[in-house]
Amino acid sequence: MKYKSLWLGCLALMVLLSCRQNAELPYLGQTTLQDGKTVHHKVGTFACYSQDSQLVDNAVLSQHIYVADFFFTSCPSICPRVIKEMMKINDRFKDEPMVKLVSFTIDPKRDDVARLKLYADNLGIDQSKWYFLTGDKDAVLDLANTFFVPAFEDKDAPGGFDHSGKIILVDKEGHVRSFSEGTDPETTPKLLDDIQTLVDTYKKATK
Amino acid sequence: MIQRAMFMCFVVLLASCNESPYMQGKRLYAANCANCHMDDGSGLASLIPPLKSSKLIGDVSMACVIAYGIRDTIFRDSVFLPREMPSFTRLSETEVTNIINYVNHTWHNDFKETTILDVEAALKKCPK
Repeated sequence: MKYKSLWLGCLALMVLLSCRQNAELPYLGQTTLQDGKTVHHKVGTFACYSQDSQLVDNAVLSQHIYVADFFFTSCPSICPRVIKEMMKINDRFKDEPMVKLVSFTIDPKRDDVARLKLYADNLGIDQSKWYFLTGDKDAVLDLANTFFVPAFEDKDAPGGFDHSGKIILVDKEGHVRSFSEGTDPETTPKLLDDIQTLVDTYKKATK
Repeated sequence: MIQRAMFMCFVVLLASCNESPYMQGKRLYAANCANCHMDDGSGLASLIPPLKSSKLIGDVSMACVIAYGIRDTIFRDSVFLPREMPSFTRLSETEVTNIINYVNHTWHNDFKETTILDVEAALKKCPK
């Protein structure tokens, strides 16, 4: 009798764990009701140039899920740590065409296309998978807020900008589905799992 | 006699538990260097060189790089592009010495201890 309860307990735990693994990711941000339908938060619209002078906008990324961060190449504080975590994501999903990576510069005055190209070259990454984007400064700072990443100019901050190091997972429809703290490597494995969950969800839906 | 031997064993054990003999250097490294060179000195691809295999490890001229940074320019497709490490002129000579000793002693490198006098002499010879 005693063992029976133990086995039942283990079985219940396994069922619970397997359910959790297949659970759909939550939609982050404010949800509103429009005409009786639930509408989830979406990231803002953007049209920026990549390190290869390619125009990248929401439409280009609508066939992909992507992780995004906000950085600048001369950042003397948290950016290299965040980029290092982005590289882990890049390595894990290098053979998964559904996943893209996007790094928006918040310092477009210094980070023009040529400088972003040099930065990307030195990272030695597949540049068809990872876009480094530059655009209008105020538009990008506003855009960061829609990714739940505070970013603003501050002459007293290292490099002249204050910003968070969050890495944000965005689905094909532009909804924020998960995030990690780019400055804390311990939060990266959970984001990697969440990206895989989202990839699996889309693959299941197309079967 | 036994008590003395036990005491010595305790001291040796205590010393072996200590991660680094350069704790001040470790704190200064974490505050000033680790954001770019990373906690484990691995750097970031070709953007930020790893310290583990740097030719500056064990060389007191590392003081110049810490104090005055690096300013370099690359010429590509008719464009000059900057590539640099910021300077840390706010660090005192003692602090620079502590960082050098921590970096020289960590990641299984083992060089002789750098003194403040070594650093003072090296800083006087830095290319301006």
